[in-house]
Amino acid sequence: MKGSYRQAEESELVRASIEGDKLAFGEIVERYRKMVARTVKGMLGDSVFAEDIGQEVFIKLYHSLADFRGEAKLSTYIQKIAINLTLNEIKRRKRFFSTFSQKGNNEMYEFEVPDYDSEEKRDASELVNKALMRLDPKFRIIVAMRMLQGYSTKETAEILDLPIGTVLSRLSRAQEQLKVILKKL
Amino acid sequence: MKPSELKRLIIGSLDENADPQLAARTLEEEGVSFDFSKGFIDKVIDRVASGADTVSREIEFSRSMRIAFNRIALTGVAAIVLLLISIFLGEGSFSLNSFLGLGDTYDEGIICLLTGN
Repeated sequence: MKGSYRQAEESELVRASIEGDKLAFGEIVERYRKMVARTVKGMLGDSVFAEDIGQEVFIKLYHSLADFRGEAKLSTYIQKIAINLTLNEIKRRKRFFSTFSQKGNNEMYEFEVPDYDSEEKRDASELVNKALMRLDPKFRIIVAMRMLQGYSTKETAEILDLPIGTVLSRLSRAQEQLKVILKKL
Repeated sequence: MKPSELKRLIIGSLDENADPQLAARTLEEEGVSFDFSKGFIDKVIDRVASGADTVSREIEFSRSMRIAFNRIALTGVAAIVLLLISIFLGEGSFSLNSFLGLGDTYDEGIICLLTGN
C-alpha cells in the first residue's frame, strides 16, 4: 500500500502518518489543503503570512495525530486547528499594531492578488477579500465557515464550539455589517 | 457575474435558510477560490521532517545532560567531602566550629582595614 495513498481511507492515512510515513501525511495535506486555505486566507487575507499559518496548521496536525481518537471527522479536527492558529495570529497582529502603529486595523491584512484568467474573476475575488477583511474577526470566522466552506449552521456551531443560537445571531449581525461594507465597495 | 449580483449572493448566503453549499460553489465558479502556493505540500513535509529530527535531537541532548549531571554531581559531592576532611585534618581538630568552617582567629589586617584602627 505504501506509495499509493490516493484511494486510501482516512483512518489508514492517519495510522500510517503516526508511524512516520511522510507519503501518507502528504496525502492528508493534499486532501485538506484547499479547506485550510479557505479558512486561513479567508480570515487573514491572501498574504505570505497566511501561507506560514497554513504550514503551521499541518505541522501541528502531524504532531497531534497520535491524540486524534477518530470521534470527530478528521476535517473537523483540522478545521479547529486552523481556526485556533488563525485567531492567535489575529490577536498577535492586533497587539503588535496597537503597540507600534497609529493607523487602523485594516493595515494588518495584506493582499497578494493571484493571477486570474479574467478581469471579472479577479474583481470578484478582490471584492470578497476586501469585504471579509473589513468585517469584525468574530463575524469573519462565521462568514468564512458559511460562505467559503459551505458549512451548515449546525456544522459551524460544532466546529467553533458555539451554541447554534450564537451562530445564528452572529450570522445575522455579520449580514448587517456586510450590507454596510458592501455598499461602500 | 456583475458586482451587484455578487454582493447579493454574499449577503444572501448568510440567510438562515440559504443553502450554504450553493453559495460556496457559485463563489468558487466565479473565481473566489483559495489555495496555497505551488510546492506547499513539499514545504510542509520538509518542515515536518526537520521538526521530527529536532525533537529527537532535543530528547537525545537532554538525556546526555542528565547522565552528565549525575556524574558531575557525584564527583562534586565526593570532592567537597574530601576537601572538608582535609580542612579538618589541617586544622587539627574535628570541633563543630571547624566542621562548619568557623575559625577562632581573626585577621587583624582586615579588621584594621574595616574599622580604621
